[in-house]
Amino acid sequence: MTAAAELRELRSTPAKSKPENKAAFWFLLPWFLGLFAVTLGPMAASLYLSFTKYNLLQPPEFTGTANFERMLTDERLHSSLAVTFTYVLVSVPLQLGLALGLAVLLDRGIRGLGFYRSVFYLPSLLGASVAIAVLWRTVFGTEGLFNEGLALLGIEGRGWIADPETALSTLITLNVWTFGSPMVIFLAGLRQIPVMYYEAAAVDGASPLRRFTSVTLPLLTPIIFFNLVLQIIHAFQSFTQAFIVSGGTGGPTDSTLFFSLYLYQRGFGNFDMGYASALAWLLLVIIGAFTAINFWASKYWVHYGD
Amino acid sequence: MRPERTAVTRPNLTRRALGRAGLLAAAPAPLLASCGIGGGGEMVLSDEPVELRLSWWGSDLRAQQTNEAIAAFEKQYPNITVRGEYKEFGAYWDGLATTFAANDSPDVVQMDEQYFNSYSARGALVDLNEAGEFLDLSKIEPDLLFTGQVDGAQFALPIGSSVLAFAVNADMFAQYGMELPDDTTWTWDDYAAIAAELDARGGGDITGSGITGGVDVGSVRYWARQRGNELFGADGDVTLDPDLLVGLWEYYLGLIESGATDTPEQMVEDTGAGVEGGGLATGRTAFGQIHNTQISALRQGSGADMRLLQLPQHDGTPGNFIKPGMYWAVSAGSAHPAESALLVDFLVNTETAADILGTERGVPANTEILAYLAPQLDESEQIAVDYLAATVPGEPLIVVPNGASSVNPLLTRLGQEVYFGQTSPEDAAEAFITELQGEIDATK
Repeated sequence: MTAAAELRELRSTPAKSKPENKAAFWFLLPWFLGLFAVTLGPMAASLYLSFTKYNLLQPPEFTGTANFERMLTDERLHSSLAVTFTYVLVSVPLQLGLALGLAVLLDRGIRGLGFYRSVFYLPSLLGASVAIAVLWRTVFGTEGLFNEGLALLGIEGRGWIADPETALSTLITLNVWTFGSPMVIFLAGLRQIPVMYYEAAAVDGASPLRRFTSVTLPLLTPIIFFNLVLQIIHAFQSFTQAFIVSGGTGGPTDSTLFFSLYLYQRGFGNFDMGYASALAWLLLVIIGAFTAINFWASKYWVHYGD
Repeated sequence: MRPERTAVTRPNLTRRALGRAGLLAAAPAPLLASCGIGGGGEMVLSDEPVELRLSWWGSDLRAQQTNEAIAAFEKQYPNITVRGEYKEFGAYWDGLATTFAANDSPDVVQMDEQYFNSYSARGALVDLNEAGEFLDLSKIEPDLLFTGQVDGAQFALPIGSSVLAFAVNADMFAQYGMELPDDTTWTWDDYAAIAAELDARGGGDITGSGITGGVDVGSVRYWARQRGNELFGADGDVTLDPDLLVGLWEYYLGLIESGATDTPEQMVEDTGAGVEGGGLATGRTAFGQIHNTQISALRQGSGADMRLLQLPQHDGTPGNFIKPGMYWAVSAGSAHPAESALLVDFLVNTETAADILGTERGVPANTEILAYLAPQLDESEQIAVDYLAATVPGEPLIVVPNGASSVNPLLTRLGQEVYFGQTSPEDAAEAFITELQGEIDATK
């Protein structure tokens, strides 16, 4: 049966005549309940709240677009946007680069691949956790492990997290360090590339570098694209690391004030939930825009095999 | 100029009469109706079994003690059961705001000076004067009681108090052959000179002093009050003179540049480390600013002979103030305000509870309880109590007004900008006042 015929067949059969559909409905019900009660419901509520002044204790008061107008002149918002964009634009490429590099190395079939893969993947599991953020604060303190290492090399360290000039870099490092999950996806992608392409390239006398740029990279672009979209979305929403490392302040001097941390401060610290809701929608728009640009640009650099 | 303390001077009888008259009609009902916080019950005891929820923030030790006190209360009132809920400070406020928003607040909540007005101004708390016979307010130290009032309505009951202090490491002074300053006469210039001298004698092993001010509300209030100014006025607006804040920051900038104090980086790390983990406890610095009640933790953390000194003087004007350590408050949404008031009364006014709770929540605000506990205090607690007794406070504190609950983080951020040289003291002082007043205005 051709695909078109199959489709016709499907269309012509009324849905209720199949008992499986009823079962499917019941199996899907928990998911639908979750979607409406836990995701769409609160989203609708937050959309409404973004047009109000709401202090959590008294009923919200409709204020039109006041919250969105306020964003234009809110200097802390602007600096939190600058911090977040820096974080995303620096840490995501570094993280993906490192993940790809290690994936290619591991793909050479070295002994104990499983072991290395697990070890490198570990930080991804731990990276966003509170424990690691606490550890990070200690490691990069004035008397921390990192400075002790530097001291062995005769370099005098500093309070990396306490200094506004370097605090964000330590958080970027933390994010880069969690390269494990994109790395595992890259590894899986590398395994999909048929060996015959490499054989053909070798027969044609292509150097290893040429084989990488002309065979590996183009065939891996769908995976790179997937990782890029995922990690950008992930990085924009970062909260835990900055919250723990800065003790919830985004400090020193707002140098680690991630967007989501600022949103949290407005909502819960200042009882400013209307504005915080508006900020949440701004974040959604920003992430949506980045994802849309990514998909649009993908037409020009992502190659889907056939 | 001391604002009137109507609630304190009001005789007991009136309160009792009011209590019997059925208080729902008096004040809270219209307030509640306008605020959307409903569900508040009547101020009468129920014969039925009653379940209350009590919430607080704090350590495991506090939780253990509080649960023990709850058990003693339940024994005395068999028809009441109390469910205790506790969290860490930051999470506590997120959770509390959410439960109040959902109309599911605990009946009795531990309150803090920074948030007290944000809740009371939104009609979220019961005026405890209306608790009448169920809650005795007469034994509470009047200056402290005042810090829980808004226009005479007692929205929160101070549990304990603390005052600002300079902690000094006497061992370190002895080690470097220095004498402890006379804290009844010393000035800010003396302090700077001593810190520099200590730093010089330490030869790089120690820092003379931590950065003891400019990034926290306490030090700014103290500095301003010594100069006849206040951070907040009685009307709930910012009244701080920006020039004074500039002066305070410039004073510390001078100390930082001279090298007599920590670097700003060390200051930031210390803030994150808390009292037990800061430079004072680890033996890096000889001076630090704390609250007198933190001396126990500090002595335990450092193992050194830590003492408390009064803060430096300025023209003899007293700048210190008795700060309410924390409060008990009853939620306006409580279905059992009378039982809630009974519980607060038990926790604050009975020797049974005092035996269990001790001074863990600060030097007790109930003067009779304090006298009762005096013989049982350990050495560190005694230091804190003696220090409080020796402190000459200025005018009663005007607590953080509605809308200004983020004053401390704001000050920390701007103070850091000044100390790191990112902003001039003048610009930062102006920004401080504009931003803070803006937050207050936004709630009006």
